[in-house]
Amino acid sequence: MADNTNIYKPLRARLEEVIEESPLIKTFVLIPEREFIFSTGQFIELSVDGVGEAPFTPSSSPHVTDKLEVTVMKTGYVTNIMHQLKSGAVMGIRGPYGRGYPVSNFEGREVLILGGGCGLAPIRSLLFALEHMKDNLEKVILCYGSKTPTDCIYKPLFSRLNSIDKFEAYRTVDMSEEGWDGPVGVATTLLGRVKVKIENSVAVVCGPPVMMKFGTIRLLEMGYRDDQIYLSMEKNMSCGLGKCGHCMMGEFFVCKDGPVFTYKEIKHNPEIWK
Amino acid sequence: MEITDFEQIKFFEKYTGEQLQKIASVSSVKEFKVKEIIFEQYDELTEIYVLLQGSLSLGISLPKDKRIHLGTIEEGQLFSWSAIFPPYISTAWVMAVTPAKVIAIDARKLNAEIEKDCDFGFKTMSKIAQTISHRLSDTRFQLMNQLNV
Repeated sequence: MADNTNIYKPLRARLEEVIEESPLIKTFVLIPEREFIFSTGQFIELSVDGVGEAPFTPSSSPHVTDKLEVTVMKTGYVTNIMHQLKSGAVMGIRGPYGRGYPVSNFEGREVLILGGGCGLAPIRSLLFALEHMKDNLEKVILCYGSKTPTDCIYKPLFSRLNSIDKFEAYRTVDMSEEGWDGPVGVATTLLGRVKVKIENSVAVVCGPPVMMKFGTIRLLEMGYRDDQIYLSMEKNMSCGLGKCGHCMMGEFFVCKDGPVFTYKEIKHNPEIWK
Repeated sequence: MEITDFEQIKFFEKYTGEQLQKIASVSSVKEFKVKEIIFEQYDELTEIYVLLQGSLSLGISLPKDKRIHLGTIEEGQLFSWSAIFPPYISTAWVMAVTPAKVIAIDARKLNAEIEKDCDFGFKTMSKIAQTISHRLSDTRFQLMNQLNV
């Protein structure tokens, strides 16, 4: 927790660098005033004094505790203000909150990751964690789709992953642009080209709700069981503590019980894709 | 074409040797150069294809000679399924992005085999249905993306 005496008081963090990932997405490199420990897939509340806060899943390695990277898409009032911040600004961090990816369950297995849009932010953190434990993994495959080549974030990540033993990364775009000679089509089309031993594999899906829905259906069709599919749900997390009820999804508080669930845990809930 | 050529391709798994022989007897290999149009939208089709090598672009035509690229066909995938069903008119265009080699299957002869042999027909129609189902699902996904749903 940021402060043991007051769970609502943010930890101060200096903005060291702002990286422009795409026209609407920036990564904020933050130096917290003290060590910040989180598990991959957990989320934080990032705040700007006098403006407000919003939930984000860190995109940096959980093994780096003196620096935190948070990727922010400009979608509303708070994120608009965040996008105007420059190096040296001070931000606030509350958390980490919730249940992240159970990476110890991935040991000895193949991990197939399907991501879309800004969903690559939590996945990037997961990829760092998996790279850290790669000797205990069979294989890691990333399939990622963005709307256009320009909208793709962390572009250097793909060539880096393809240079790491046991890692494969594929990209597609919904709409091509001048200079793009890669695949065109939605993210799920990439699943047709991967080779996985499904019985010894887990799948992770993170992205916009529509991609999560179609991605999960395709994974089930491939033969994945519902307890082999991990979904990172984003449901208007607000307090982060399971108190305010903004993030309720059926019987779950996404901020406390999630944001990572297996499909088996939540498939009975009609609200999961909304 | 030889049966061994088909056995390497995922699309043809589950067929018996005898069934692969039937497909081989009505198939040929065709090659296309970069940017060559394999067929246009609204063309009458007589062959269905399975991509052996290369990469193809699939899209639809718009007024004023505009083209939208909707997807990429990867090695091992079936395309030109409209050749099997009346009115045998293509719903999209397909163009070679790289030099491409395809198996071209005579659709009328294939249909005749489907009618004669129920097991062969069921396997073939299941594979074609799966291709169409994926295409439909991907199109809905893309539509929802474009509508920002």
